[in-house]
Amino acid sequence: MKIALCSTFVPFIRGGGRNIVDWLASTLTEAGHQVEVVYLPELDVPDLLFQQMMALRWVDLQAADRVICFRPQAHLIPHPHKILWFIHHIRVFYDLWDTPYRDFADNAKHCAIREALFDADTRALSEAKAIFTNSKVVSARLKTYNDVDSEVLYPPVFESERFFCAGYNDEIAYICRLEHHKRQHLLIEALSFTTTPVRIRLLGTGSGPDYGIALRQKINDCNVADRVILDDRWITEEEKVECLSTCLAAAYLPVDEDSYGYPSLEASHAEKPILTTTDSGGVLELVQDGYNGYIAEPTPESLAIAMDKLYRERSTTEAMGKNAKQRLVDLKISWSHVLERLLA
Amino acid sequence: MKLVIFTPAIKTSAIGRMTRLVVRALLAHQHQVVVIRTESPHLLAKETHDFGCTILPWTNEAEAAQEISSADCCIYQIGDNYEFHEGGVAWLARAPGIVCLHDFFLGHLFCGWAQQRRDEANDILTQWYGKKIAADYFSASNSATFIRETQDLAPLTEWISSLATGVITHSNWGCDRVLSACPGPLFVVPLAYDAPGAISIENESTPNSKLKVLTIGHINSNKRIESCIEAISNNSILRKNVSYRLVGAIIPSMERKLRELATVSGVELIISNEVDDATLSEAIRNADVISCLRWPSLEAASASAIEAMLYGKATIVTDVGFYKELPDQYVLKVSVDNEIEDLKKTLLSLQSNRSATTTIGKQAQAWASETFTAENYAVRLEQAIPVVLRANVIISAADHFATIIDKWSASPQLLRTPEILEPLSIFNTNTIA
Amino acid sequence: MKVLIVNNMAPFIWGGAEELAVNLQKNLIIAGHDAEVMRIPFQWEPASTIPSQMLLTRTLEIFNTDHVIALKFPAYLVRHHRKSLWLLHQYRQAYDLYDVGQTNLPADQTGADIRKAIINADNESFAESRHIYTNSEVTRKRLLKHNGFDSQVLLPPVNDPESFIGGQFDDYIFAGGRVNGMKRQYMLLEALAKADKRVKLIIAGPPESPADTQQLNVIIEKFSLQDRVKLDLRFLPRATYVDYVNRALAVAYIPFDEDSLGYVAMEAATARKALITTTDSGGILGLVTPGETGWRAEPTAESLAEAMNAAFESKTRTKQYGEGAQALWNGLGINWPETIEALLK
Repeated sequence: MKIALCSTFVPFIRGGGRNIVDWLASTLTEAGHQVEVVYLPELDVPDLLFQQMMALRWVDLQAADRVICFRPQAHLIPHPHKILWFIHHIRVFYDLWDTPYRDFADNAKHCAIREALFDADTRALSEAKAIFTNSKVVSARLKTYNDVDSEVLYPPVFESERFFCAGYNDEIAYICRLEHHKRQHLLIEALSFTTTPVRIRLLGTGSGPDYGIALRQKINDCNVADRVILDDRWITEEEKVECLSTCLAAAYLPVDEDSYGYPSLEASHAEKPILTTTDSGGVLELVQDGYNGYIAEPTPESLAIAMDKLYRERSTTEAMGKNAKQRLVDLKISWSHVLERLLA
Repeated sequence: MKLVIFTPAIKTSAIGRMTRLVVRALLAHQHQVVVIRTESPHLLAKETHDFGCTILPWTNEAEAAQEISSADCCIYQIGDNYEFHEGGVAWLARAPGIVCLHDFFLGHLFCGWAQQRRDEANDILTQWYGKKIAADYFSASNSATFIRETQDLAPLTEWISSLATGVITHSNWGCDRVLSACPGPLFVVPLAYDAPGAISIENESTPNSKLKVLTIGHINSNKRIESCIEAISNNSILRKNVSYRLVGAIIPSMERKLRELATVSGVELIISNEVDDATLSEAIRNADVISCLRWPSLEAASASAIEAMLYGKATIVTDVGFYKELPDQYVLKVSVDNEIEDLKKTLLSLQSNRSATTTIGKQAQAWASETFTAENYAVRLEQAIPVVLRANVIISAADHFATIIDKWSASPQLLRTPEILEPLSIFNTNTIA
Repeated sequence: MKVLIVNNMAPFIWGGAEELAVNLQKNLIIAGHDAEVMRIPFQWEPASTIPSQMLLTRTLEIFNTDHVIALKFPAYLVRHHRKSLWLLHQYRQAYDLYDVGQTNLPADQTGADIRKAIINADNESFAESRHIYTNSEVTRKRLLKHNGFDSQVLLPPVNDPESFIGGQFDDYIFAGGRVNGMKRQYMLLEALAKADKRVKLIIAGPPESPADTQQLNVIIEKFSLQDRVKLDLRFLPRATYVDYVNRALAVAYIPFDEDSLGYVAMEAATARKALITTTDSGGILGLVTPGETGWRAEPTAESLAEAMNAAFESKTRTKQYGEGAQALWNGLGINWPETIEALLK
């Protein structure tokens, strides 16, 4: 089939948002399809929104047998066989309207834009032959705000066969961008409450230097420098695979994220349990407390208890690691499943 | 919300009076209102209605611009009088907003505006009415000819409507042209008006007293005074039992003409000229019947007719335009084609059955005082604003494209093909094309 | 700098411009920049949709980008404060093709209006660009004539010069590139029939149609050239093509009146191979100096046969011509570092 993958993007920001598109493109190409990837920019400024949306309506991809649309407002692109793998709305107009993330006033004009957006989005969504999302969280939002039904289709990680398990040392690894909402600082604080010699390794870098600097400060303040490795730099795929293969467990505890996040997935492929918190959001669709990881309260004390348990109860930890891999099978997180659903 | 309302504020403006009522209702609803008065500069010093809020002249560029920039919506009261609405037209092009359209015929407003801008005016006329009408437009010999020749072919309703983000008007008869030109939504709302002098009194209508007919306002031929005189004169009962009074400004030549006509026709005619508000109110209260005949009828709603009804008076109207839309049971309609005959019959009926005359007045009063309220107008305006703002989201986006196309010296027609418009239909307004 | 290359996309069609964009990206990164290619879907049929495609492009908000290099209409209509054009194509159907009636713009007022919009939009974008480069003299002339804007010719360099190492000289003349009537590979076969029996030929490249393949086979049959000719008619994997060039004795490229030098000639010169061409081939003549870098034959089988014989006659001389071709080519300064420097000025 000729398939066009359509998404909006920020030029020169890669990873995260683009992975799902690029990895799907590779997978489809390998499966023998002809794939075209359409990335167009989108600036979510209220006054510019609708002219950009109208422009998207003129994107002509009739040469494709079907199109698959990802990030907003790509779902506006018209096509007789449009499939959505819906990642999120323009959230400041939706569920983040009543939060500080909205950086414009909720005056009459912006309220009007909001309502017009709901209307246009709902219509565009209704044009789709099928709507998939990356998590139950997003599916719920689609239902609440646009009253459309959708099927959860979990995004797999690319070439998962790279990940393997070589054993369980005494380090809990947190391999992820260094950002405040990922809460590496919480893990450091938790370490200071642990009673076992469990260690943590933080790998990754941030969009700016500030958070990394703050983490170093936190490590010193908590007096845990001898048990923390903080590698504030961009980590290669090989390094990630290597680290996950030997670690005790993986931590992933962002604040209220929609999707479970690739780090959780990668850890599961490496047969490592996942340490997360009750308020992490989509991760809880993947992690079941005591089955493939621990779900602690988002407090240092609670996390510390879980960390000690992972260290002390080795056989449980290893069993949970095996379960983590099985969980992926149970949730059908695989490219073959993705292709089956998208091409149905 | 913060609303900036452009309106004539001068005391002699009926639109100003109406706006004042609406503004007070809006203020009672906890909105912030700023009034920008729109009269031509030589009238800006005249005394204004009391709006109860900040009021500034449209010529205060900086201040006006600042108020507009922080407003949720601009509202323009527009009527067919350039002296009263010069500022409204000026700002409407710069800061689009909702137009409250008081007159469907805007020929006089347009002519006043066109004086300094003949080229632009010609473009507008050509755009809406074609080259032929544009060429002939400014050559009408006098006012009556002008109205007669242009009211049906080139009323300029489209001109103002096309500049508005939405239109609120007060009757349906002229809406086709509004819809054809306005990119935003249209609402028909009963005009807000009041009659503070309408205190209830018992009329001393002794069985043998004459039927007191009254016409108020500027005494001109639109008000069909000659027709009334003729109708009365054609029937001996009417001649004997009807007293016709005119209260309002009248030029000497007109006064002379009417007096002569009345004398020759044997009709009792009282000409009171212009009087103060209190006297006017008393005159209305004392009347049995108000003649609100109008031809031609150019306004969206007649404040006079509403006022007459609010006073509880039997009101005679011409069966056209706004008046045609009034419920039959509340006013007495006279056809255009058979005016004199109909008038005669109506007057005879009123004269012979005085209690029925009183009744229809009272019923009209009950209905009018519930319908033509400022409260209702304010509520409808509040409901209209979000609808207009939503439509404006789409209009603004379309304008973005229109601006680019214009810069390429290309016609907007290039965008009106099915393959270009059809995908935009999900934005679900009739604002595109 | 963060450099965004902006091009059109004709969905599922990949051609020279797409290759160029990708190679430009690659070389920008080599030069230390970050580079991405943005491809905007462009639908020009029916002509009435063209205005919407122009508006689509003009409405895109490009941010987090330091510099834009745009290649074609309507991609170059994008707005950006730092925009350079490397003009591969205007919409010729509004210009020179319009003049000769080869256009999808209707011959009515609407067609004229669309054309006017294209011209005005073009002029606006040309005026707001920092620099305008074109990929050929022909494009430069057209731009000047139709829009009144001057530009600098910036020839696209070889995409992967490091692969064309040359150094080996087998016993064949290589004729690469697309196979069709205009490229005239058939004439090379006719020449082969008249040339010395030692002369061998490899013709490799994608045929435009079965008729083109047929034409070559007929000649091979007719003159019994089977043991002296190898036909490899398909879209060649790059490595295969590179190998053919690197091991050739000389390279023949004899199209009819082409604008540009042609990648075949550029790659051959990079690989230090002598060039055989014809006097009416157009752009390639700039690389073929008789006696120094190769042979210019008349466009006849006899004349070409002489050139082929000459190539085989003295291998030393042929190698020398190859060196000469490379020197001449290098002297033109058509390489990626200089190209990028110009594009980012």
